[in-house]
Amino acid sequence: MTETITPRFVATDDPRPESVRPELEQIRRKDGDLMLTGRGGYLDDTVLPGMLHAAILRSPYAHARIRGIDTSAAEAASGVRFVLTGAQAKDQTSPIPHYFDPALVGGRTADFRPLAVDEVIYAGEPVAAVVGVTLNDAEAAVALIEVDWEPLPFVIDAEKALEQGAPKVFDTWEDNAMIRLPFVEGNAGPIIDSAKHTLEGELRIQRYQTAPLETRGYIASWGTDGRLTLHASAQNPHPLRSHLSKTLGMPENQIRVIAPRVGGGFGHKFHGYPEEPLVALLSRAVGAPVKWLETRAECMLVGAREFIHRFKVAYDEDGKILALRDRIIADIGALGASGGWGMAFIAGMALPGPYRVKHYDVESTAVVTHKAPWNGARSYGKESAALAYERIMDLVAAELSLDPAEIRRRNFIPPEEFPYWTSMKHLDSGEYAAALDHVLKLGGYDQLREEQAQARSQNRLVGVGVGFELTPEGGDFSGTLLRGFDTSTVRMDPTGTVTVLTGVTSPGTGNETGIAQVVAAELGVSPHDVTVVQGDTDRCPYGYGNFSSRSMTVGGAAALLAARDVRATLVTAAGVLLETTPEQVRLAHGRASVVYEPDRNLSIEELTRAVFVRTLAVHGLDQAQLESTRTYAPSNVHNVPDELGRSSPYPSFPYSAHVSTVEVDRETGLVKLQNYAGVHDCGTIINPKMVEGQFLGAITMGIGGALWEELKYAPDGRLATKSFKHYLMPRANDLPWIKVGHEVTPSPFAMLGMKGVGESGVAGAIASLANAVNDALRPLGAVIDQMPLSAPNVLAAIRRAERS
Amino acid sequence: MSTSQASNLSPQSTPGRSITLRVNGESRSVECHDRQLLVEVVRDQLALKGTHVGCMNGDCGACTLELDGQIVKSCLMLAASADGGEVNTVESLGSPDELAPVQEAFWNNDGFQCGFCLPGHLFAARNLIESNDAPSDDEIREAIAGNLCRCTGYQSIVCSIRDAAASARAESPRASV
Repeated sequence: MTETITPRFVATDDPRPESVRPELEQIRRKDGDLMLTGRGGYLDDTVLPGMLHAAILRSPYAHARIRGIDTSAAEAASGVRFVLTGAQAKDQTSPIPHYFDPALVGGRTADFRPLAVDEVIYAGEPVAAVVGVTLNDAEAAVALIEVDWEPLPFVIDAEKALEQGAPKVFDTWEDNAMIRLPFVEGNAGPIIDSAKHTLEGELRIQRYQTAPLETRGYIASWGTDGRLTLHASAQNPHPLRSHLSKTLGMPENQIRVIAPRVGGGFGHKFHGYPEEPLVALLSRAVGAPVKWLETRAECMLVGAREFIHRFKVAYDEDGKILALRDRIIADIGALGASGGWGMAFIAGMALPGPYRVKHYDVESTAVVTHKAPWNGARSYGKESAALAYERIMDLVAAELSLDPAEIRRRNFIPPEEFPYWTSMKHLDSGEYAAALDHVLKLGGYDQLREEQAQARSQNRLVGVGVGFELTPEGGDFSGTLLRGFDTSTVRMDPTGTVTVLTGVTSPGTGNETGIAQVVAAELGVSPHDVTVVQGDTDRCPYGYGNFSSRSMTVGGAAALLAARDVRATLVTAAGVLLETTPEQVRLAHGRASVVYEPDRNLSIEELTRAVFVRTLAVHGLDQAQLESTRTYAPSNVHNVPDELGRSSPYPSFPYSAHVSTVEVDRETGLVKLQNYAGVHDCGTIINPKMVEGQFLGAITMGIGGALWEELKYAPDGRLATKSFKHYLMPRANDLPWIKVGHEVTPSPFAMLGMKGVGESGVAGAIASLANAVNDALRPLGAVIDQMPLSAPNVLAAIRRAERS
Repeated sequence: MSTSQASNLSPQSTPGRSITLRVNGESRSVECHDRQLLVEVVRDQLALKGTHVGCMNGDCGACTLELDGQIVKSCLMLAASADGGEVNTVESLGSPDELAPVQEAFWNNDGFQCGFCLPGHLFAARNLIESNDAPSDDEIREAIAGNLCRCTGYQSIVCSIRDAAASARAESPRASV
């Protein structure tokens, strides 16, 4: 069952009378016809004349000194044009700026270059690069590079990395703890120490990633004018350009970054990777375009989400959480300049989620190890926090024999308390209990419990799991190029077509369609007549691209503001031409008409043409600007601490509620997902079909992460997971029908009331499945706190219970 | 920007040969190396970019095309072994102005997001409907299980294929038995 709702399109700040407010025309995904016929135009489809190909020698050691590199055999090999080593690359670059420098929040930091110099700190680190006429030439030559390695002690376990005397990732640091981030309110410690009821536990979350189907790639080319063009499968083309300018030491306006259609981003295509400047250096050296495309095995080096939680909570007889302590350890690998480690920040900040807990003491410690660095992964640490607070809810419920749904109701922040301050979050609005009740009804919770009782009486291990997630979105991080605002231009031409140029990007999420819809509605044209240009730094206004489910809420809102400017010119002109006041002009269905006399009208094309060809030639027709650029920032960002020292980098807080059923095979540990229902609330919805698609995709990514996906390191410090034969993602026949429902609680702080969609769903799915599997194992007295809930891990939990 | 490329052809490397394929209805002769995969020849020598590379391992299905009436993962096959064969790529299914019913169904149901996985899902859908124009959801899920999609969660793909099957039934209703 799928519920659909009719989108509303009424801005709270829209002063216009109802009769001239725009209608949203629902359309199919923009460019669908191109994508369906093989004309998508992804990075790998770009061919530049004379383009050469790069391959990279990567470290086989987790930690080693480079005593020497001999590239002579590689240079002499057939089809080889150039070989670059780390020392040479260092001479031509400054350190790669961090996506989010830990020093900004008081952490230790380090410099990173395109290629390792003297020492490698993770297996897979780039050491040298070869440019060949063909990729085969380059790859063959990579094998001919001889490196004199001196292997060094390494550590690939965060807890061992924190021990005294552990091998250090960065020599200049005192130890491997990069930063300890406290999130504290009230007096959790004394309350926990003196409480009648307390409970503690541990959660271990595996390293995994988002694995977009299209891997990363870059093509660099230098013009005869000295200008660099980088085609990049990147989510944030403008900030990438800014960072390239710093790394390469050249004026930013001499660089053009073009992000073509992206085959899935999910954070994997945040920038800060060594290959970005590397490809530029290689291209400059050979005087020809150079392409590098990530292999699937290289893609899998990128880590994320590996956390340990150790928590203790105090609660009362009614199941109310009185205080919460959580010590989080994040194994962030060897740091790098890419955008991943910040997940350790969010994993702490996102607690205590949707719950009214006034006393909490959370500390998240980011630890470096000799593993490949993280990059962003959809949910960005929020999944880690949600697993912790949702397991806590279920554990407390079990202690008090309360229903998991009931304990959540008792702890939710009630609707009347919004806006609500908690742990660096100023929560906008929410009807959490309504979303939970909705999903219980949608999923048939009572019946699921009856079926479970029946299954248990037959000795079958069936579990029902509730999960709820609060998803901070639209993040605004001052001091970085990750900002919460963005800019769009709306431009009309004499024939009445519309072009939107925007700083937000769409790696497949579809915000270009939503942007076209809202702009078209304002201007009274069809969304088909609106072209949205994204991802080209020469054409689009400076913007921050795609992250934190923000593109529609800020890029779309900026486009809407710009469209209203253009609309104002249009209705003024139409008022003159139709001999009425601008307030009486309605723009809809390709025509400008007088509100109560629709026969008095002209087409939008006639109108825009008149603005271009008759302005200053007709009395009253004196405004010719059918173009506007606007920047929009949601109002609920608090970068400057208030008098109580409170700040909040996120303006929007969508949420979702989930219920799932699993059956566990006690002989094999295999988990079979049987039922699933999810209800989400992302505020106002522009395109229901696409919003639902985002939610379903997020849930499925969460299911994969909960049940199967894992990047495993071998004891030798090398990544053992190299292909989709080891990295198991959900396939169609692994999944039940997922029932989806929507709630709409508009944000009072954001234009149109949108809160953002895209990430929400991952965390709730993981939490729901962890609770379902633990619920299934309860008759055995078994508990699983090691993710994923894979057959070996579940079986180990069962065996442990059997032994004790 | 040129339209074709031979990224894996260089004069001194591995042995090669000339092969002839019938590609999307046209006879094409191409020079290729013996070690080149069919997907490489289709993308590089034939400049048909709709066939995608997601894993080079036969796991994801983004490189799916039709060879002699069978859908194959073209990253698992040497180009030389397709010599003389008839290849239909995703470009052959329909054009932007004239989409095939299965493509319309995918568009109507938002059966894709980033679009990278489409070759596998479109060919698997068409293949299924040709043999079974009233598939159950389970049959649809089995039919596309060789393909990965990281965006949709598959549900909208299942809906797309249901719709495509319905339009196939409407177009040529089976004689009642």
